[in-house]
Amino acid sequence: MARQEIDPITLQVISGALDTIAEEMGHILYRMSFSSIIRESQDLGAGLFDTDFNTLCESESTPLHIGSLPGYLEGIRDSLQGGVWHEGDVVIHNHPYYGSSHSPDIAIVIPAFYKGELVAYSANTAHHLDIGAATPGLIIDIPDVYAEGMLFAGTKLYERGVRNEALWEYIGRNSRAARQLQDDLDAQIASARLGVRRFGELLERYGKETVLSATHQLMDYTERVLRQRIAAIPDGEYRAEGWLDDDGRNRDVRLPIKVCVRVKGDGIEIDLTGSADQVETGFNVPFEGSTKVACFCAIRSLLLDAETSEIKVPSNQGSFRPIEVIAPKGSIFNPKFPAAAEARFSQINRVIDLIYKALAPVLPNDIIAGSSATLSFAAYSGVKPNGEYWVFLEVNEGSYGGRPASDGPDSIDNLMANTRNNPLEDLAIHLPMICDRYELRDDVMPGAGRHRGGIGVVKKQRVLTSGFITHECDRHTDVPWGIFGGTSGQCGALQIYNAARPDDIRDMPAKFAGLRVSEGDVMAFYGPCGGGYGDPLERPPEQVLEDVLDDFCTVEHARQAYGVVVDLDTESVDLRATEALRSRMRADPRRGEREDSISTTIDRRGDGVRRGPGAALAASAADPARATGPGERRPAATPDSTTRRVGPLPASSPAGASSIEDLVARLNARLGDDWSFDVLRHQRNGGGIEVVAQLGANGTRVQRTGASNGNGRLPLGAQLEIASEAAFRSCAAEMLGEPGRISDAH
Amino acid sequence: MNRVGVDVGGTNTDLVLESARGVHVHKVPSTPQDQSEGVLRGLQELCEMAGVSPRDIDLIVHGTTVATNITIEHNGAEVGMLTTRNFRDILHIGRHKRPYNFSLHFEVPWQNRPLVKRRNRIPITERILPPDGRIETPLAEDEVRDAIAVFKRRGVESVVIGFLFSFINDAHERQARAIVEREMPGVYVCCSCEVANVIREFERFSTAAMNAFIGPKTTVYLHRLQKKLADNGFGAALRLIQSNGGISTIEACSKRAVSILMSGPAGGVIGGRSEGMLCGSDNLITVDIGGTSADISTIPDGRIKIMNPRDSYVSGHPILVPMIDLVTIGAGGGSIAHIDSAGGFHVGPRSAGADPGPACYGKGGEEPTVTDAQVALGRLDADKLLGGDLPIDPSLAERAVEEKIAKPLGLSRREAALGIIRVINSNMALAIRSNSVARGVDPREFSLVPFGGAGPLHGVALAEAVSARDVIVPVAPGITAAMGLLETDMQYEHARSLIMSLTRADAGGARRIDVLTAELVAECRRDLENDGVPPERQRYQRIAECRYHGQGFELRAEIPAGEVGTAAVREIVASFHAQHRLDYGYAFDDGEVELITVRVIGTEEVTPLEVAKLEAANGLGIDEAYLYSRETTFDDGESVSTPRYDRLKLRAGHRVPGPALLIQHNSTILVPPRYQCEVGAHGNLLIRRGA
Repeated sequence: MARQEIDPITLQVISGALDTIAEEMGHILYRMSFSSIIRESQDLGAGLFDTDFNTLCESESTPLHIGSLPGYLEGIRDSLQGGVWHEGDVVIHNHPYYGSSHSPDIAIVIPAFYKGELVAYSANTAHHLDIGAATPGLIIDIPDVYAEGMLFAGTKLYERGVRNEALWEYIGRNSRAARQLQDDLDAQIASARLGVRRFGELLERYGKETVLSATHQLMDYTERVLRQRIAAIPDGEYRAEGWLDDDGRNRDVRLPIKVCVRVKGDGIEIDLTGSADQVETGFNVPFEGSTKVACFCAIRSLLLDAETSEIKVPSNQGSFRPIEVIAPKGSIFNPKFPAAAEARFSQINRVIDLIYKALAPVLPNDIIAGSSATLSFAAYSGVKPNGEYWVFLEVNEGSYGGRPASDGPDSIDNLMANTRNNPLEDLAIHLPMICDRYELRDDVMPGAGRHRGGIGVVKKQRVLTSGFITHECDRHTDVPWGIFGGTSGQCGALQIYNAARPDDIRDMPAKFAGLRVSEGDVMAFYGPCGGGYGDPLERPPEQVLEDVLDDFCTVEHARQAYGVVVDLDTESVDLRATEALRSRMRADPRRGEREDSISTTIDRRGDGVRRGPGAALAASAADPARATGPGERRPAATPDSTTRRVGPLPASSPAGASSIEDLVARLNARLGDDWSFDVLRHQRNGGGIEVVAQLGANGTRVQRTGASNGNGRLPLGAQLEIASEAAFRSCAAEMLGEPGRISDAH
Repeated sequence: MNRVGVDVGGTNTDLVLESARGVHVHKVPSTPQDQSEGVLRGLQELCEMAGVSPRDIDLIVHGTTVATNITIEHNGAEVGMLTTRNFRDILHIGRHKRPYNFSLHFEVPWQNRPLVKRRNRIPITERILPPDGRIETPLAEDEVRDAIAVFKRRGVESVVIGFLFSFINDAHERQARAIVEREMPGVYVCCSCEVANVIREFERFSTAAMNAFIGPKTTVYLHRLQKKLADNGFGAALRLIQSNGGISTIEACSKRAVSILMSGPAGGVIGGRSEGMLCGSDNLITVDIGGTSADISTIPDGRIKIMNPRDSYVSGHPILVPMIDLVTIGAGGGSIAHIDSAGGFHVGPRSAGADPGPACYGKGGEEPTVTDAQVALGRLDADKLLGGDLPIDPSLAERAVEEKIAKPLGLSRREAALGIIRVINSNMALAIRSNSVARGVDPREFSLVPFGGAGPLHGVALAEAVSARDVIVPVAPGITAAMGLLETDMQYEHARSLIMSLTRADAGGARRIDVLTAELVAECRRDLENDGVPPERQRYQRIAECRYHGQGFELRAEIPAGEVGTAAVREIVASFHAQHRLDYGYAFDDGEVELITVRVIGTEEVTPLEVAKLEAANGLGIDEAYLYSRETTFDDGESVSTPRYDRLKLRAGHRVPGPALLIQHNSTILVPPRYQCEVGAHGNLLIRRGA
């Protein structure tokens, strides 16, 4: 197609029209739908896509759906029934190995024809209550993708306008919530048809050439804005690590997540190499439909923040183009068929969280401290007296880490999640369940900081009949991280007990599937709390007082974490006592050790070389419960051919490059795998940067300072790398007992 | 009967007086620190102009932004809340959805600017259980008294009571209320079941908390105004326009302050409707364009639509109160045009406001606004703005458009100015569509009614963009909202949850609906009678809010007149299916229809404003009204010498061919080439494509 240049005014008009179409599509879908996961939680997405599967517009529903549909369309291209689109076709598609986000997110796709020619696709996705999987609603511990339920790939539910009744009947017989499934599919079809109609009207009005050229220009525009933001970040390689509790079956095996963010000019690579191998349960992540989408979401939220950006960038393919995502085939983020990959949210939310941690050194005023970064997704179910199943899906909220200019929001959907809760009264009226408690946690305090972390929720849901509960979640062992002096947040917790015996509590892991429950059983969910941002001693005493009065903070916590002495009787701060206490605390030499580390920029061991536990683990080694964690899964091997392999960065200090690897080898020889190196904090020092870093092994720790002397003109990332390398050399020399020699080598 | 409508806006207070001697209009500057000052001054001046003594005014209807401003400035009362133990944070958690999908630095209105601070939300032991509302745990009265002690210590001025499942059984809320009234005499107090007696705890509590937050200040303002008027010889009954377009008394609006949150824009919608209907058009789209924003509402069959209360938000807080279905967008005369760092072109939502205002005001504004673009295109004459009261400098407008838009984009000044107009019109057109086409309304059967000072400059372009049938320009576009205040009915609403299947309802079920409906009608009747409305002027609208079983959103269906039996229930079901098809383009004909809420609206029929007929043209030409001609540029880029006419000298039946500008004191009307403007019997203008 010949592309004509569209004037900026027509462009703005068409952009607004496309946005309106997407919003209208989303609106109809959730308004008409039946299952609470769609109508109340709005777990859906809708939009228009060109014949190259570029997103032209998407509704503002939930982030995970935004950006996932191009993957579906590619999967449909490879699996389309009959291989040809006809006017009036309606395709149903959810196969995770054909690009879907995960199998319960069923897409409905309708081709848009204009004067006999295929010009676009109108499509939407929605999370369905039950597609006939191994356990009602949600699944975790299943052997393979076939246990996820009905799988559709490029299947035509309508051919040339005629519904396939056999298929429709089949769907009606293979779900525990068949009526809702079918009615919600009808809502999806109504929404997609509306998109086709509206797009046709737009073409009619402005002409096909103009509209399609405009869509390309709009994508270029969005891409240009994002690339400008990326270019402002210093080039470099930024890393962070964390881990997941377990895969839902092998309870003693933690799953590492390694994130490397490579900023090169106006592009970004997010490399997940080194993260856990794929697991044998459903706790894997479909690469196209979920892993990539999470990385897009992370960058868009960080660099095109809807609250702080003056301009509203059109939501289209342009926001994906500058971002490359790498995850080795066979890893948890890119599993091989036929591994199950349904329970994927906690993993990708954690990736986003770690991307921010990695970028903390270079974007300190944009990133936020560690969030809950998981998802509590619960499926309650049972059988009614008439023999019909009831299934209820509930997304519980998370909390945010402290932010550069404000506290982390409390009990709210986190990062990639953005659904609405189900009203408690609506639930109790419609299903045999009742809520016994729904408020902020008061058993723990969130991460302290200049800006505190958000407070997690406590929700106690009681079932009034016997049935099943499945819970998909994580974050019972890896605590949300604080940053720049802020302290760690809190892990989540989960308990089951019967209302008649409230003291007989079973502590549960974060994820479990198909648990049989009896009448009166209660599931109590305690959400993780966010980490703090900045030094707690810099939080104004009046703000601490406000928090104490509002019971966000206890009097003891105010004193211990913030050095603020509050008198509850007079509802005031004892300023003199506070100043004295804060002075004493500032003078305490061990104060820095409570801080969490920021990203390490040193990791030159290459693929396949194991290193000690992750950064956050080492930093919290003071906590005996976490000092010796269970073993790690070996990182996945090399990336497969579908992902781009990145060569080593140009060494910032070429003479030292080989000796870093030499040091790593010698540390490995001396200490085995159980050592780690972390940069604890950094600050500007004259023309360069100074870091404080720590090498830890077998309970001993060495802290050293490193500086990027004389390299102040280099990008911040490169300076950090030089300073970190210097600190690493000093630490390693000390640890290896040969300080002089190695220092000389430098 | 002498009646006055007073509409207080951000910049001006508009007044209309209707008496036996005709209709008089007036405009005075608003007094934001205390709106009642501007209101009083305007009334006094208006009475003088009209030669009517304040004593002889019978009725004053008032539209106010007082309640809205409290929410914008977040300076309401210190509120205390009694709520169910273990559910202290319903107001803090809300629906747990963030305002934006892609943001890390977002604000959470209900956490950052809470209506009730957490320290003042005190949990009370009590429990009522669904589905029958039985009391599992009685109210702990001692805990209520302890909470009151805390409230007193903290200087709480207002108390809200919100318990779970109170929409089924309100006994505990009322019991707690009685204790508060006894122990804190004179304090403002309300229960969630009184303010919004419907299912969904967060929205109900939020509405009640908002009422408690704005209630005390709103009450003070209303009583001060009432006293000020009485002290100055105005003996008239003072009434307020509510968000739903009905009028109510000072006492009722003080108790239920949330009902006047959208009092401001309501008058405009009603005024626009009356003007359109004067021209014989029932299908109307009203567009009220001010300095920073435009309010848009669609009125099919002459019936103003009420928004589903689940869609109503004020300052980020859900408010379950019936409000006129209108959309407000950041597009007005002061909207600023700018180019972003990546070359994107935008107009609004940022506005130059009144200070510095558009560049042409010469008050230091350097960025071009929509008004500047109009001036640059020769559509606003420098010496005619507000009858020459507001002098402007066209060269400043031209320079701003040139420097900030034309040069960077490589366009001519004229192209740049036209671009600004096109983008702002497009934004408004999309908003019109979202309020019309998106709801299954076909604009080709609708007349567009533009008003507000800037409205008539955009009217034809908007009508073209949305394919509206024609354009109706009100008699006094700058004051249409105030005129609307004299067109509205006394109105009360009562609603209660009744959750039951309609599809399976038997005679017993129908009787439950009948009994509840009768109760609600009786409540409305009591309110109307308290206001002295005689029975023959009382009207009742009975509504069943329904959804398919399992859905989350209700639609409204009419309850047929008479006793509700099984036949009536079948009618409700059929009308719900039809509404669903109209709104969503699809109906589940075999779906089970569920009743959620019964609502009754009681109104008093008010005598409509008498707009005098204009003298007929009787063969006289339009030359009498001709002022002069100047070059003017129209949307298609054509620049032609365009005659100006004095609107007030035009007579009924006159036809003015485009291109033309009609100028009146507070507005300029643009009639593009190939359009024709016809003066109606009352002076309204009907603009359509030339014959």
